[in-house]
Amino acid sequence: MIKNKQTKLERHYATLGMMLIAPTVLVFCAVIVYPLVSAIYLSLFDIYTPTLQGEWVGLDNYRELLGKGEFWASLRTNLIWTVGTLSLQILFGIGMALVLHQNIWFRSLARSLILFPYFISTVVAVLVWRWLFNDLYGILNHLMMAAGLIDMPVDYLGSMPNAMISVILVGAWKYFPFVVIAVLARLQTIPDSLYEAARIDGAGPVARFFDITLPQLRDVLVVIIMLRAIWDFKEFDLIFLLTGGGPVTSTQTLPLLVYKEAFSLNNMGMAAAYAVAMMAVMLVFMILYIRKTGEKDA
Amino acid sequence: MSNSGNGKFDVTRRGALKGLAASTVLATLPVRAWAQDVTLRWWSPQGSPDQVAAYKFQIEQFEAMHPGIKVVFETTSDEGYAPQLAAAFSSGEVPDVVTHLPSFAVASYYANGLVEPFDDVIEAIGADDYYAGANDVFKAADGKYIGTGIGNTAANMLWLRKDLMEAAGVDKAPETWDELRAACQAMQGGGVYGAPLPYGRNSMTSLIFIGVIHQAGGQVFTPDLEVDIDSDATRAALDFYASMRELCPPGATNYSWGESLTAFVSGASATGIYAGRVLANVNAQNPGIANSVTCVTYPRISTDVAPWTFNDFPSVFIPAQSKHKDAAKMFAAFLFNPEGYIKQLHAAPGHVLPVLKSISTNPMYLDNAIIKAYESEVDLMASAAAGGYNLGYESAAHKSNDKGGEVVGSGVIADLVQRVVLNGENADTVLGETSKTIEAIMKG
Repeated sequence: MIKNKQTKLERHYATLGMMLIAPTVLVFCAVIVYPLVSAIYLSLFDIYTPTLQGEWVGLDNYRELLGKGEFWASLRTNLIWTVGTLSLQILFGIGMALVLHQNIWFRSLARSLILFPYFISTVVAVLVWRWLFNDLYGILNHLMMAAGLIDMPVDYLGSMPNAMISVILVGAWKYFPFVVIAVLARLQTIPDSLYEAARIDGAGPVARFFDITLPQLRDVLVVIIMLRAIWDFKEFDLIFLLTGGGPVTSTQTLPLLVYKEAFSLNNMGMAAAYAVAMMAVMLVFMILYIRKTGEKDA
Repeated sequence: MSNSGNGKFDVTRRGALKGLAASTVLATLPVRAWAQDVTLRWWSPQGSPDQVAAYKFQIEQFEAMHPGIKVVFETTSDEGYAPQLAAAFSSGEVPDVVTHLPSFAVASYYANGLVEPFDDVIEAIGADDYYAGANDVFKAADGKYIGTGIGNTAANMLWLRKDLMEAAGVDKAPETWDELRAACQAMQGGGVYGAPLPYGRNSMTSLIFIGVIHQAGGQVFTPDLEVDIDSDATRAALDFYASMRELCPPGATNYSWGESLTAFVSGASATGIYAGRVLANVNAQNPGIANSVTCVTYPRISTDVAPWTFNDFPSVFIPAQSKHKDAAKMFAAFLFNPEGYIKQLHAAPGHVLPVLKSISTNPMYLDNAIIKAYESEVDLMASAAAGGYNLGYESAAHKSNDKGGEVVGSGVIADLVQRVVLNGENADTVLGETSKTIEAIMKG
């Protein structure tokens, strides 16, 4: 006969366990579940932002959203921005990490300075870049005109595809240090013996990179790509301050669309619907991330 | 829909004295200690260092007169006030006094029950001291005033360089678009562009282009607030705007107020489009051209169409959720106390123009180097602004439009400009879509 009844001690441990886990559950509910449920709840209403008063519209916001060309155009722009800036971040990040992994004389200083773009406030960074891009006084146009490369200043932020390229480049500049730090940390743990063995086997620098370094970086790159993809996908301030989503809506990503609905049109319900749709797209990234990290654990 | 354009104010001696008396009464409002300490939060998007210094002076004077009341000034921005106020309103943690927001924003908030009626504050300031009709834009459908103007701004004046005009053989200030285009073509060259018109996806492009529609004899809404943007006048405005593109710097496709102002002040463009801040900035940053600068109302399609000046009617209002309404009203009225108010106006001379007759004629106000040096320009801006309009109040015949803020904020008019002028899309198609979008916004 199986004894189902818990002993007093077991019940006590169970209660203690629940008490210990309760703070975590409460914090999780407060910072994750509540905002999530609120966003979904708001998305079912037609709400005037300043008062948060409105009426129930059910799924109308979603029907309107899916029927709007602006949503799909912004999603497409969002993907172009994310893929573009993320690719450059990875490329620059790995390249710079490899340089900083070498025994160069200014290595310590360079490792500190490389973090500068990542730490600087986005507002300040954008102001600096807007001046660099300025058509009348920007150093980029000035140098290119002085070098005879162009006759007239280039319109970096007001025409396509320049605006998208500029935004992607500034994004890559701002966030590639994150990749540098993560990759550099991993590079320092790759055993030298692997490289020594490869050298003995006659492998050159390129072969060593592709056959040893890159496979060793694989795990960290998976994590970096997933995290940065999520962060870049929801990037708002950098794009908003650089182009405002223009020209027309050429650089208007979904976060900018959410902002426009919420604060320019005072339509918080529709903004919440856009935010929920964004979350659904990001969920794909999350599932990939969880699966990858799960595989690693296994 | 006309500007007097004569640059003169109809101020009688008696009127001026009444205004001064009202202001003096204000200054001597009963001083009483508050039982509990009260902290008033004052928000404004106008926060240049000189302006903040003037606000500090006003705050110190007010606090000295009212022990127990503390005033804290907090800066917001022209592009950022909407989300900040939305968060404040929805959380209930509102500022007690808000200044310098455009009148149509206040109308939108009042229509949703977020703004305290302002009639008693206007009475305390002295209703008779305002220029005739100065508060019409703030009159709600229920007959109450929702705020008042803290100043007037003629935001789309055409700024000119007399030296460049002379060198290019332009003998008079342009009055029509054809004359403006010809003048800009004549003055463009040698690193100087004709004009810094905004083509960016921002509120400046929307607000300036609304003016251009009116300068073509059109309107965005009928007086009954039916959407009327799809018109021949708008097509003419788009044609004009497109024709000016080659006379503007390449980066004008992303210009907003700051870039447009800098282009003229720095000498990179021969004409400018801005409010009176040009005067202070030219004198401080490029004094070499200071003697050559002048302004006129912005040209229109023909002289048969009256000038249309964009005045955002910078406001003062009190959020309905303020916990200290009485103190806030006292402070709002105190902002017009001559000494402090004049200091505030002098912080951006010619930019924010007085709304009170007694201030315009006050020797203390007139005793300012820039106002003296540019007397005719300041007078012209004052009269143009007094007869000015905005999307919340397109003409004296128009109903108050409490969706004006949303229409501007949506960017639909800037999009119209960008799609037709920059992308070369079909104007008929884009105008049809623009009308539908604005109609949807109006329906809420």
